[in-house]
Amino acid sequence: MDFLNALVALSNFVLVPAIAYGSQLALGALGVTLIYGILRFSNFAHGDTMAFGAMIAVLVTWGLQAAGVSFGPLPTALLALPFAILGCIVLVLITDRLVYRFYREQKAKPVILVIVSMGVMFIMNGLVRFIIGPDDQRFSDGARFIVSARDFKAMTGLREGLAIKTSQGITVIVAVVAVALLFWFLNKTRTGKSMRAYSDNEDLALLSGINPERVVMITWIIVAALATTAGVLYGLDKSFKPFVYFQLLLPIFASAIVGGLGSPLGAIAGGFIIAFSEVTITYAWKKVLTYLAPEGLEPSGLVQFLSTDYKFAVSFVILLIVLLFKPTGLFKGKAV
Amino acid sequence: MSDNPYHDDKGNKDRSIANTHGAGTMTPAHRKSGETHKVEGGPFLIGDTMTGGYGKGPDILHDCTIAVDKGEIAVIVGPNGAGKSTAMKAVFGMLDVRAGAVRLDGEDITNLTPQDRVQRGMGFVPQTSNIFTSMTVEENLEMGAFIRRDDFSQTMEQVYDLFPILRDKRNQAAGELSGGQRQQVAVGRALMTQPKVLMLDEPTAGVSPIVMDELFDRIIEVSRTGLPILMVEQNARQALEIADKGYVLVQGRNAYTGTGKELLADPEVRKSFLGG
Amino acid sequence: MTEPVKNTLLFAIVGGLILLTGFTQSWNTAILILNMGLISAIMAIGVNLQWGFAGLFNVGVMGFVALGGLAVVLVSTPPTPGAWSAGGYGIVLALLLGAATVVAAVLVATRMPKGRAQTLAIIAILIVGFFVYRAVFDPSIAAVEAIDPAIAGNIGGLNLPVLLAWPAGGLLAAGAAWLIGKTALGLRSDYLAIATLGIAEIIIAVMKNEDWLARGVKNVYGIPRPAPVVGYEVDLQQDPGFIARADWLGLDPVTASTLSVKLGYSLLFMVVLLALLWMAQMALRSPWGRMMRAIRDNEVAAEAMGKDVTRRHLQIFVLGSAICGIAGAMMTTLDGQLTPSAYQPLRFTFLVWVMVIVGGSGNNFGAVLGAFLIWFLWVQVEPIGLWLMNLITTGMPDGSALKSHLIDSAAHMRLFTMGLILLLVLRFSPRGLIPEK
Repeated sequence: MDFLNALVALSNFVLVPAIAYGSQLALGALGVTLIYGILRFSNFAHGDTMAFGAMIAVLVTWGLQAAGVSFGPLPTALLALPFAILGCIVLVLITDRLVYRFYREQKAKPVILVIVSMGVMFIMNGLVRFIIGPDDQRFSDGARFIVSARDFKAMTGLREGLAIKTSQGITVIVAVVAVALLFWFLNKTRTGKSMRAYSDNEDLALLSGINPERVVMITWIIVAALATTAGVLYGLDKSFKPFVYFQLLLPIFASAIVGGLGSPLGAIAGGFIIAFSEVTITYAWKKVLTYLAPEGLEPSGLVQFLSTDYKFAVSFVILLIVLLFKPTGLFKGKAV
Repeated sequence: MSDNPYHDDKGNKDRSIANTHGAGTMTPAHRKSGETHKVEGGPFLIGDTMTGGYGKGPDILHDCTIAVDKGEIAVIVGPNGAGKSTAMKAVFGMLDVRAGAVRLDGEDITNLTPQDRVQRGMGFVPQTSNIFTSMTVEENLEMGAFIRRDDFSQTMEQVYDLFPILRDKRNQAAGELSGGQRQQVAVGRALMTQPKVLMLDEPTAGVSPIVMDELFDRIIEVSRTGLPILMVEQNARQALEIADKGYVLVQGRNAYTGTGKELLADPEVRKSFLGG
Repeated sequence: MTEPVKNTLLFAIVGGLILLTGFTQSWNTAILILNMGLISAIMAIGVNLQWGFAGLFNVGVMGFVALGGLAVVLVSTPPTPGAWSAGGYGIVLALLLGAATVVAAVLVATRMPKGRAQTLAIIAILIVGFFVYRAVFDPSIAAVEAIDPAIAGNIGGLNLPVLLAWPAGGLLAAGAAWLIGKTALGLRSDYLAIATLGIAEIIIAVMKNEDWLARGVKNVYGIPRPAPVVGYEVDLQQDPGFIARADWLGLDPVTASTLSVKLGYSLLFMVVLLALLWMAQMALRSPWGRMMRAIRDNEVAAEAMGKDVTRRHLQIFVLGSAICGIAGAMMTTLDGQLTPSAYQPLRFTFLVWVMVIVGGSGNNFGAVLGAFLIWFLWVQVEPIGLWLMNLITTGMPDGSALKSHLIDSAAHMRLFTMGLILLLVLRFSPRGLIPEK
């Protein structure tokens, strides 16, 4: 039995990656949940909005790198992030003006907006591929690790190493800041409260003098900021590939639904639940168990429940289980 | 089925893509506000010989007149389907008024949107969905004061003085309150704009008789501050007892009009609408 | 212009576009567009049945199409020698054990009184079941995948005529749809969209990773053709009668043989499309169809009249998915190979949605028209985009980065155009080209 090494191995292969991935999913799911709560439909174009924002970050990063600008040990992409957010905001506001606003005026049913968002998805997807191409793009630079496995082993004298990538550290910090800002905004500011009011009861919000178009505009701005941040963090952690963002749609939707659509708190909880289940179920537990098992009883196989290719299946099964027991998700009724 | 293709959701009820919670159902008569003009004299608020209906639908109101003056409580009563709520909605701009006019404080506001009427000082409490259930009591009141840019803490204190229970529950979600308390939140929210006139659509619908009496007491209290109140009521007898002015509507027309006392004393009214 | 005249004209225009392709580009391209158009039309009928007539939002079309493809491999390819004895039966046993575990867990969940004992029992069943399943499953698939991995490594199929695989594909898709529908429609509120989105990804993941099933990403090649109908090019080129006929048409035997094979497929697909279209039309005019529309237009009233709405929805969901499965089987037959990595949601789910919305949701003929039109554009936008980019960049110096980027990116105009078409139709003709009556 070697509890300490088991714990380090667990942290290295499960906890740290899952926390980083969970933060990325949570940011994505927050965007989906805000649109669902306020514009009242599930936005199929969300993955591609993330891709678009991340793409601008990639392009600006390349520009900065070419100009010799760097951010020390931190990735240059963080400097590019504000520009990317701005670009993404411009895109979604133009989209809203040209596409969605008409349907609001018509008081279109939400499911019609879902179909509209499919069209937007095609267009954004095409746009991203047109500009940057469908291939993998790497844009992370700066120091690769906050703590590398070797340093950790040297520091602690343990057999197992714990590596924390810079991108993982940044992901968690940025996500915490973004979520704190969002919650402060929604719960403490007049505009934030008016968004919650609009989500809760549109008619009464109107009667209270809340301007729906302003609420919608601010929602899009926040969503663009969240989506870009999520997209850039995911790209830094893994790599930038347009199609991967499109595929993130499923775990992001699953996170938002598990948490209870429309609930920001639920979106965050859902993101971490999905991320942790995906990582734990597709992780080969042999190493951790070998440390924990008594002498002679070490597992012979990989002790991997499912191959990593089935991570979607995990999100899906978690989703089903939650819905079977809590049909409205974990955090019900807390409108935006 | 509606003519608008965008209203056809093919019966889809998929919760994972479409959110119907809190979606707007209001159908204002005007999307954009039109002209207003000054008018001399007349009561403080009057819907004058209004004829109209929803959208392109048939007329529901026929030459219907509703008015309320400063310091008064005016009550609209009548049988089910008489157009009581419709008359009030017409005054508030949610009905296409094809003939007649709505005037507030010496101004013809027939062509204003409901939102703009709120800006001009009309406080409206709908019959249902009249609070933000997921928000705290205090946040509900804050949202009521959304159009005000000045300090509204004074008004909030007045509302809390009027409805002391709300002060105790200020940090509780409004959706968790009892029916009577919810109505107090709803009225409180409308009062936060410091309206010039308060319109209540069946404030006692679905509450117990004891709560109803209490609500009526509060409404009288509000009216004592000089605020004119226009109210639609299902409980005709109790409502007329506190009314300065009563309108009995039948099929969208004025059937009887008078002070509350006159109507209560009128044998015809008693026989037809008050159960003897 | 009356309705029938307008609709005939619309079909004539799309037919004309395909003919134009034949005259200006090549007949090979034209017939390819026609064949995939026919298959797309069948998919569109399936989705239209679900969305147009019952308001069910299926965003997992890709999964059902892929299942149809899988059925082709499992039915029509020859069995791999020795695979069954090596591990095939073990796999079947493992799958049965897995199913038994799930059934046992469900039984405990529904029959046993609620409480801690029940929860523990469910967990115990699932854990024990899982390990037993893996203990049987893992060695069996290892044995199967070890057999000649370069060309086989899978259990193979039943070696039956490929035409039988088409209904089998429908059945397989129907079975999956029943499972999904039973779960997603049975929840207290309807979660079909996310359920289908998820299951489609899972089906593709299974097909990519379970090499014993259909070789995974190594693909299955050489799927037999419905030979009596379409024949093989090589045989035709040897047939003197065929050569004479080709000569009479002024074609060389090689071109003529490929065209003949493709036209053979067209004929077959046309028969299936017409049969399904006829069935769909008859079904919708039947009392069953009227009831479906009554439910769609007023679910509350239908429920009050004692209609079991969930059951009806499940029925139509299964039917629509089965049709998509048949189309998927036909497509894999046409391709002659199964390529799991080729299944992309944009192409196989969302493009079918564009077809249905553009054509006219709620109208079978609309769906068919939309399918042909959108498929035509899907194929032709690429050359048009390239031509457009060449036009735009004529003024630019050769070798400029922008010029080469624009020309290289022309291929991606396709997705952009599809989105634009969908949005324009929704905006200006929201009921589609041929609206529901």
